Amino acid sequence: VLEGICPVEDAEPLLQMLQMTPAGPLDWTRCNQLHTAVLQVILAAGVMPVGPCGDAWVRQWVGLEP
Amino acid sequence: VNPLHEQFITEARELVQQATDDLIALDREGPTPERIDRVFRAFHTLKGSAGIVELPAMGLMLHAAEDLLAALHAGHVAADSAVVDQGLACLDQVSQWVDEFEVHATLPTDAAEAARVMAERLRALLPGNGSEPEAASHGPLAASVAGALPAWISDLVDSQSAPIARALGERPRALWAISYEPHTGCFFNGDDPVGMMRQVPDLLAFRIEPREAWHGLADLDPYVCNLRLRAISGGDRAELARIFRLVPDQVRIVEVPAEALRPGQEMAAAAGDSSGLIRSIIAEQQASIRASSGEEDFAGRVGAAARSAANALRHGRRGDWAERIELAGAAALSQRDAASLLSALDEALASMRDHSAADDHASVSEPADSPAGEAAARPALRLLRVDEVKIDALVNMAGELIVAKNGLAHLARRVQDTLGDRSLADAVDREHETIERLAGDLHAAILQLRMVPLAQVLRPFPRLVRDMSQRLHKKVALTTRGETAEADKAIVDRLFEPLLHLVRNALDHGIEGPEERRAAGKHEVASIAIQASRSGDRFVAEVIDDGRGIDPAAIRRKARERKLMAEDELAALSDEQVIDLIFLAGFSTAVEISDISGRGVGMDVVRTTVEQIGGRVSVTSAVGAGTTVRLDLPLNIALSRIMVVETGGQSFGVPMDAVTETVRLTPDRIRQIKSNNGFVWRDRVVPICPLAELMKLPGKPSGLEAKLLIVAEAGGKLAALEVDAIGDRLDIVLKPMQGLLAGAKGYSGTTLLGDGRVLLVLDLKEMLS
Repeated sequence: VLEGICPVEDAEPLLQMLQMTPAGPLDWTRCNQLHTAVLQVILAAGVMPVGPCGDAWVRQWVGLEP
Repeated sequence: VNPLHEQFITEARELVQQATDDLIALDREGPTPERIDRVFRAFHTLKGSAGIVELPAMGLMLHAAEDLLAALHAGHVAADSAVVDQGLACLDQVSQWVDEFEVHATLPTDAAEAARVMAERLRALLPGNGSEPEAASHGPLAASVAGALPAWISDLVDSQSAPIARALGERPRALWAISYEPHTGCFFNGDDPVGMMRQVPDLLAFRIEPREAWHGLADLDPYVCNLRLRAISGGDRAELARIFRLVPDQVRIVEVPAEALRPGQEMAAAAGDSSGLIRSIIAEQQASIRASSGEEDFAGRVGAAARSAANALRHGRRGDWAERIELAGAAALSQRDAASLLSALDEALASMRDHSAADDHASVSEPADSPAGEAAARPALRLLRVDEVKIDALVNMAGELIVAKNGLAHLARRVQDTLGDRSLADAVDREHETIERLAGDLHAAILQLRMVPLAQVLRPFPRLVRDMSQRLHKKVALTTRGETAEADKAIVDRLFEPLLHLVRNALDHGIEGPEERRAAGKHEVASIAIQASRSGDRFVAEVIDDGRGIDPAAIRRKARERKLMAEDELAALSDEQVIDLIFLAGFSTAVEISDISGRGVGMDVVRTTVEQIGGRVSVTSAVGAGTTVRLDLPLNIALSRIMVVETGGQSFGVPMDAVTETVRLTPDRIRQIKSNNGFVWRDRVVPICPLAELMKLPGKPSGLEAKLLIVAEAGGKLAALEVDAIGDRLDIVLKPMQGLLAGAKGYSGTTLLGDGRVLLVLDLKEMLS
């Protein structure tokens, strides 16, 4: 679960989590600001997070393809 | 691989080569209308092929080059070295892309951008660039302006075309395209690229993508940024500059021209273009068939024409027609009458016209005849492209045929011995002679197929010399002589590297700068000649320069510094022998290490490479007058097949043609015959000779274990060589014994193994007698 402001430091633990459970689930509905590094991990993992992203800008502009 | 792609790759490489040659000639010998025309045609054909395999970036760049050449042709632009430089750079880009395309079947992602930059540079050389007076009269130019837009911008615009159109409808404004490639280490600087994008005002489109494809989570470093962010903004340019002020080197902001905002048109035009191309290919095939009058090339032409036309049709997703053409082609071949194929091609053309008329009204008004006429004017090449592997297979088979026919001689003897039928034996003998002659001729003819002129490897040299002399600020004229002299492809191919080293060395060390030359009373422009000739069964290639020559005193000094040999040995050497030292590994006389040569490798590589193919290198030099390096090579690499055996801790090569069988023999089968050991093999008694004993090496004590024997026949004698181990079978180049070893008995020569060891190859005939 990604919550609140997700700074650059969150990238590493998120990566470890996704390495263990590559399919997720990943909930990002309550995150309201996503750092690029965290987004990069999500993109690289190719996971489809659950629900709409809590970060409105990301929701509008970053299209994730399953 | 798609055959259309394959054809494109081969042709593109040839065209690039041809255009490079002509550009260089143009630069060296001045522009003639024919030369400019040839370059123009090469670029034009390249552009057409790029269109067929759908490489718009390449097409775009070549279009710009074509415009420049057209201006050159019309005399609007002078053929100066700037034009030649850009033309060559453009060809380099093409050949780089062709390599990329061969591997990945697509161009690198930055191709569109690179093409745009190159096209701009080419256009910058046009007179009154930017305004382009001819633009109005040229239909395709309008499309090329839209095409000049990097693909990523048009993609972005397309992805959000409706909202962008709406936004512009509300308030017309300038649009900016932003491409931001953060440094891989940007996260450590506290950058948040997405955060910056968040601040972009009036964001209309955004895309985030990996720069390099993801390689899975296992190897992912979360703090290495591998992203590319792109956006379209309708905001203020100054505001954008402020946002990205800290990362100016990573961001490009370009204005989106209004043309890009009308998507759709360009694509339709491209589709029409492709069907036009397919039509022209078909028409070209028809012309080629009609042009064929001779009987001998009928099959080749008809087959090739049917194939090309079918490929083009398949490419245009008209597989049904492709099949019909192939059937018609097969029928034409079997009836030896091309009429059916021609009419099938006509029908295909007609259907293409109908088809495109339905698709696109614009292109129907343009008849397919004009490209066809142009195609027919081009002379048909009567060359057959054959994969080298196929020729090699033929060479091998011919070799085996020769071995097989040797069996006939034995057969004739057996007929006489067992049946006592003299006349039958004679008949077999006569057949044997006929087959022997034919097999020999066949072998020679096939080897002839592999003969290629030296010109093939010399082609890059004018370009190389031009580039290098520019960099070194030296004036050099390269001449090549005897480039039509032929040798085996394996030899010629391997000559490139040694020749390259020699030419580089000559340029870097041999040739003086213009001032020095003038001071020495020589012509300012130095000369380097590459000269080839054939003498008997040898092929001689020489690199001759008129530079400062090699100073034996300098070499002696260097050899002393490097401690390459003992002082007294060095003193005993003649000047010629001293010059020969430049071939030693680790020898370099250049005072400074330059990027052209002078790393202390080179001359020793030359010698090694040349010796590997059975050749010799020699050098003659006169101080102040120049240097000549002579490569003396065999015409073809005669490969011998050997078996590597070990005995007494050493390896030897045994020619395979002498080996009849390898046997593992238990001690109980060995009989004592007189003072020797022997055994019975196929009803014959074969003496056993331990190889170690023959070679005067310490042998293994003969124990009770099984012996490893090679049954060999040489000079009419059968013997079994006892060895410790049998290793690989190799195809090697046998070099005759030289120098100190020249007098050694029992060896037919030496060869260099892959690991650098020298292997002695035994002469069994001499050993067993």
